[in-house]
Amino acid sequence: MKVRLFGITFLLLLLTLAFHIEGDAEPKENKMLLVSAGTFTMGSGNRALDERPVHKVYLDSFYISKYEVTNSEYYEFWKSLQEKNEKTAEVKPQHTPENFTHLPHIGNWPERAKKFPDHPVVGVSWHDAKAYAQWKGMRLPTEAEWEKAARGYSNNLWPWGNALKPNANTAEDNDGFDNRLAPVGSYPQGKSFFGAMDMAGNVWEWTADWYSDVYYFHSPKQNPTGPTEGSWRVVRGGSWIDKLTRCGTTFRFYLYPTLKTSFVGFRLAKSVEKDKK
Amino acid sequence: MRSWLIIFIIFCFGCSLNGLYAQGTDHSTYVQNVEKGFISLFKGENANAVKAFEAALAIEPNHYEILHYLGMAYAENESWNKAVEVFQRSIDIKPDNIEVLYSLSVVYFKLNQWENAVEPLQKVTELSPRHARGFELLGKSYVKLRQYAKAIDVLKEAIKLRPNAAQNYNEIGTAYLNLKQYTDAIENFTKAVKFGTPDFADPHFGLGTAYMRIGEREKSKAEMQIYQRLQQNNVDYERFTRLTRVDPNNLEGWSGLAKVLMRQKKYNRAILTLQTCIELSKKQKAPPQTLAGFYHALGQAFINMRYPKLALEPVSKAAQLMPKNALFFNTLGSAYAMIGDINNAIAMFEKAVELDQEQPYYHLNLSKLYQSIGRHQLAKEHQQLYQDLLAKQNKTK
Repeated sequence: MKVRLFGITFLLLLLTLAFHIEGDAEPKENKMLLVSAGTFTMGSGNRALDERPVHKVYLDSFYISKYEVTNSEYYEFWKSLQEKNEKTAEVKPQHTPENFTHLPHIGNWPERAKKFPDHPVVGVSWHDAKAYAQWKGMRLPTEAEWEKAARGYSNNLWPWGNALKPNANTAEDNDGFDNRLAPVGSYPQGKSFFGAMDMAGNVWEWTADWYSDVYYFHSPKQNPTGPTEGSWRVVRGGSWIDKLTRCGTTFRFYLYPTLKTSFVGFRLAKSVEKDKK
Repeated sequence: MRSWLIIFIIFCFGCSLNGLYAQGTDHSTYVQNVEKGFISLFKGENANAVKAFEAALAIEPNHYEILHYLGMAYAENESWNKAVEVFQRSIDIKPDNIEVLYSLSVVYFKLNQWENAVEPLQKVTELSPRHARGFELLGKSYVKLRQYAKAIDVLKEAIKLRPNAAQNYNEIGTAYLNLKQYTDAIENFTKAVKFGTPDFADPHFGLGTAYMRIGEREKSKAEMQIYQRLQQNNVDYERFTRLTRVDPNNLEGWSGLAKVLMRQKKYNRAILTLQTCIELSKKQKAPPQTLAGFYHALGQAFINMRYPKLALEPVSKAAQLMPKNALFFNTLGSAYAMIGDINNAIAMFEKAVELDQEQPYYHLNLSKLYQSIGRHQLAKEHQQLYQDLLAKQNKTK
């Protein structure tokens, strides 16, 4: 009898673990926004050295996702890989986001996909981000696309303009989400000219490009796609652990593509098919 | 018998779970420390970054990227030998990682081990022929090693990659100076001055030396005077930077650094430094005039960067803290005028004049704005006051 009771308890424990994923919030729809073709000003002449020189760049029309890719969106991709793994008897889980046990506002995967469906997915490497984008039939934005989507045709410091007021989740105090991630789209006032949200703060965003501090001196004037080689991939936009000054529209940063951290996520881009332009 | 078997199975399962849990915990600790390391590194808390990355690597030692970041933290902390050791460990794992090779050579350069710097730099430039920083440091290393012809070749490559880089022209100038090719030296030092920031002292020294060697004493003297003035700013900058690095709560250090940065017209960095000054002043309950001074300087920096809208908030705060300070109202007036808000600008300039009638420039500002809105009589009166006060001041001097 005792053994049976123990068995039932054990089974219940297993079931609890298996169905730990909970939460019932409806995830936000991540629309693709059209960024019209045209020339914009890239870089800055009076900020960091790697933002120089200021130069004009022409980009074809493209789409950019309104929000950073969320936990719930990434979960669908991850789940499909799990199912594929089961079929092929492959044991190693592919593209699984890193766990952040010490950060309860992020937590572990896959539990956080249901607990925080609208939070940007973090703990993903550049390779994970690229794989997700390909699975969606899209791609990561190039650095130039990212900057155009963030600054539009202005010379503003941040996507919303030049005002210091907190329109983004950064390391500054009293921005509504101190020391933690925010659900995507929490700062509607902070949207960019093209309507993209959270292009400053919350999470750094992987771009497709390799980093080079002198690329702007030599980049093509039309549709630049970054250097052909490098060690680091460009990340843009700053994050919840960064001061507002690092979240500017022109600020460039770089990380090893293999890193999986709590402050880097990504958003998607897609080219506009020529006949639909 | 059956119950013993079940207990045995549960025991075995428990053991394996325990093992999994231990592995998970270790990896969690690794992740936690890596995160701590990054956050500390970004905040400039390099000693904490070192501790955290070391703790992470003690658990999972083979991450070449984390070794690179640990080395950077050691280097930022000026623990050069530790940095070399850690970069070398990273290179052992991934020998063709150009960024670690470059970081290693930077440390060798700092240690004045220029010969050691050359080898990894040659590898960097071979592996990545567009690595401007690699060519630049290789050129500088050759200058230090007195291999001037090689230095000139390499630095010319660097200029192709990063046009108008003042530092490279200065190094080429130095190489030509040592080769006694003074015309080329002067040409390159002049370009270094042209393309450099206003605080770049070295090319003035080079020009002073080159002019001296060709007998142009007056020109040499003038360049040396500029060099000394700029050098003093740079010495102050180093001193205050060191002070704030050693004691991040040293308000005097941050304040001194902000002043130097404003003098050097490095407004971006001045803004960040002044924001730190403001935070520290609040925390340390500094007198209101100190806090007001920082707010005002922050506004000035924004104005100098042509962001007058951003200046309004900090300068208004300064004026609230010190409502009898005419200068703050004058600055507010300037910011409003730059935005095109003439009514507010006039109100602020009038307030400045009311608080200090002896400052000629407040009258001049007011006069200009009155003129712009067609109040010619008032404009004329303040123009006259400006001229009278200026004459009086000059007489006193």
